[in-house]
Amino acid sequence: MYLLRLALASLANRRFTAFLTAFAIALSVCLLLAVERVRTEARASFASTISGTDLIVGARSGSVNLLLYSVFRIGNATNNIRWDSFEHYASDPRVKWAIPISLGDSHRGYRVMGTSQAYFEHYQYGHKQSLQLAQGRAFANDPFEVVLGAEVAQALHYTLGDKLVLAHGVAAISLVKHDDKPFTVVGILQRTGTPVDRTLHISLGGMEAIHVDWHNGVPARGAGRVSADQARNMDLTPSAITAVMLGLNNKIATFTLQREINDYRNEPLQAILPGVALQELWSLMSTAEQALFVVSLFVVLTGLIGMLTAILTSLNERRREMAILRSVGARPWHIAGLLVLEAFALAVAGILAGLSLLYLGIALAQGYVQANYGLYLPLAWPSSHEWTLLAIILGAALLMGSVPAWRAYRQSLADGLSIHL
Amino acid sequence: MRQPLIELTDLTFAWPGHPPLLDIPAFHLEAGESLFLKGPSGSGKTTLLGLLGGVQQPDRGSIRLLGQTLGTLKQGARDRFRVDHTGYIFQQFNLLPFLSVRENVELPCRFSKARAAKACERYGSVDQAAASLLAHLGLKDPALLMRRADSLSIGQQQRVAAARALIGQPELVIADEPTSALDADSREAFIRLLFSECHTAGSSLLFVSHDQSLAPLFDRHLSLSELNRAARPANDLEA
Repeated sequence: MYLLRLALASLANRRFTAFLTAFAIALSVCLLLAVERVRTEARASFASTISGTDLIVGARSGSVNLLLYSVFRIGNATNNIRWDSFEHYASDPRVKWAIPISLGDSHRGYRVMGTSQAYFEHYQYGHKQSLQLAQGRAFANDPFEVVLGAEVAQALHYTLGDKLVLAHGVAAISLVKHDDKPFTVVGILQRTGTPVDRTLHISLGGMEAIHVDWHNGVPARGAGRVSADQARNMDLTPSAITAVMLGLNNKIATFTLQREINDYRNEPLQAILPGVALQELWSLMSTAEQALFVVSLFVVLTGLIGMLTAILTSLNERRREMAILRSVGARPWHIAGLLVLEAFALAVAGILAGLSLLYLGIALAQGYVQANYGLYLPLAWPSSHEWTLLAIILGAALLMGSVPAWRAYRQSLADGLSIHL
Repeated sequence: MRQPLIELTDLTFAWPGHPPLLDIPAFHLEAGESLFLKGPSGSGKTTLLGLLGGVQQPDRGSIRLLGQTLGTLKQGARDRFRVDHTGYIFQQFNLLPFLSVRENVELPCRFSKARAAKACERYGSVDQAAASLLAHLGLKDPALLMRRADSLSIGQQQRVAAARALIGQPELVIADEPTSALDADSREAFIRLLFSECHTAGSSLLFVSHDQSLAPLFDRHLSLSELNRAARPANDLEA
């Protein structure tokens, strides 16, 4: 205990170097933990994007592509699914529920998704959580009603009753707008932390209505135009949709049904298991994620080497200190212990400061990260994994401290009580 | 007759790869005695002190301190034996600058249970021992005890070092040029203080210096070059 007191007093005597050393460790620890936390949360939020859905069906492409556009609203479908294919599988006795999805339009950079009531009833994310309305209601019979994801409503300042115009296509700035058929906001969903927050939901009928007078990708002109009221009286059953999400009565049927859909004779279709596709997609990103982790490990190592350098360079100018200690009875192992304790104190100070920096950073950036990246960083006590990392850092610091300790041990044996000026 | 405090017999020592530095047939220091050992720099006095402290081992011959032959003890035991029975005062910069004056004085008691016990026995507590030793040495101001050691003048620092050497009444106080940084007036005053405190503590004093003018103050004075058969007049290398 007295040795620790001596080590701290000696460090305090060199407080500027000690502060810089501890600060370097703190920054590296903060970086490592921040990367860890973002990694963990990204993986968790990624895995919880969709749950409860057994199969996603779309036109044949790749499983990752299908997952990307149907769940993450990234990229585009290569082809559509005919409505009768949807009806065929929706009415299959093994299928408990089917959610049709129709994509392709946007509103100020946010994707618009045409779907049915089933979406609000059956779509689940996270740990089998259903979508909840924060305000208003789901869209009903009128085709020109829209339900907004939480982020859309917040970012674009929409409230219930607001009118908005959808744009054709998914480019951020679209030149062709469906401005003849404005939509009314009837509901706003609660925040989910998934791509749902960034989506505008309309009925399939609404999706059909805004395109009813379109031919070959361009709107009709003059007499060919159909007004909103005219559209309301038309049959708005779509002829094609983009994808289908299926929930089954019995999970055991999943693989059989998947094979059947993949072999469907009337139309080339593809069915994927969301869990498997998520894994595939994540493994694409995990290389970058692991690289980030390795880089932050090296930053920690750099911080510790900085400490090693600082202690080693101090050894020579502290020969007198060591000799005085020897003359008052400190044995060589006391001298060695003093230096290990010094490394320990620096590492502990660095780790504590690093944790404080991390929590300060999270507290400041939490809202921004959530709003911009849909990533919720909890202000939580370190996880057991993080404690393990911190313990490893501390262990590495002690190991590094043993290098100057060994040198000082040898030095103090050789110098003895004589103090070389 | 009482046993001498220090007894060297047929001691020789050479640093590896160097010619013999010390060759002392016999040397002794009696308990309670104050001895002035004159040695110019390079005469091997620092090495002799290292040998007496058990930090170095003689090539040949024996060193007996309080009847204990140092060579028979292991390194750790020699270290413990040294701090239990010897107090040191060096030339200057004796103190750990980052500790307070009081903590500096108490240092030997932190590493030696025997010295702590003796300090407590005599003064009630280690704190008390430090305060009264410093007061005897002319550092009475209690505020001074809490100051950082390097905020004191050189003369004050040497008195703190003396208090540190004397705390816990070691049988032997070794002073290696303790006055060389002091001016002539304070030099003699310091030595007289040291004598009186060594007398009170019952400690022998081995005082090593090149300054012959101080010799008459001591019970006995010796020259290392007379004692040491390996001494050569031309040898002016620092050992």
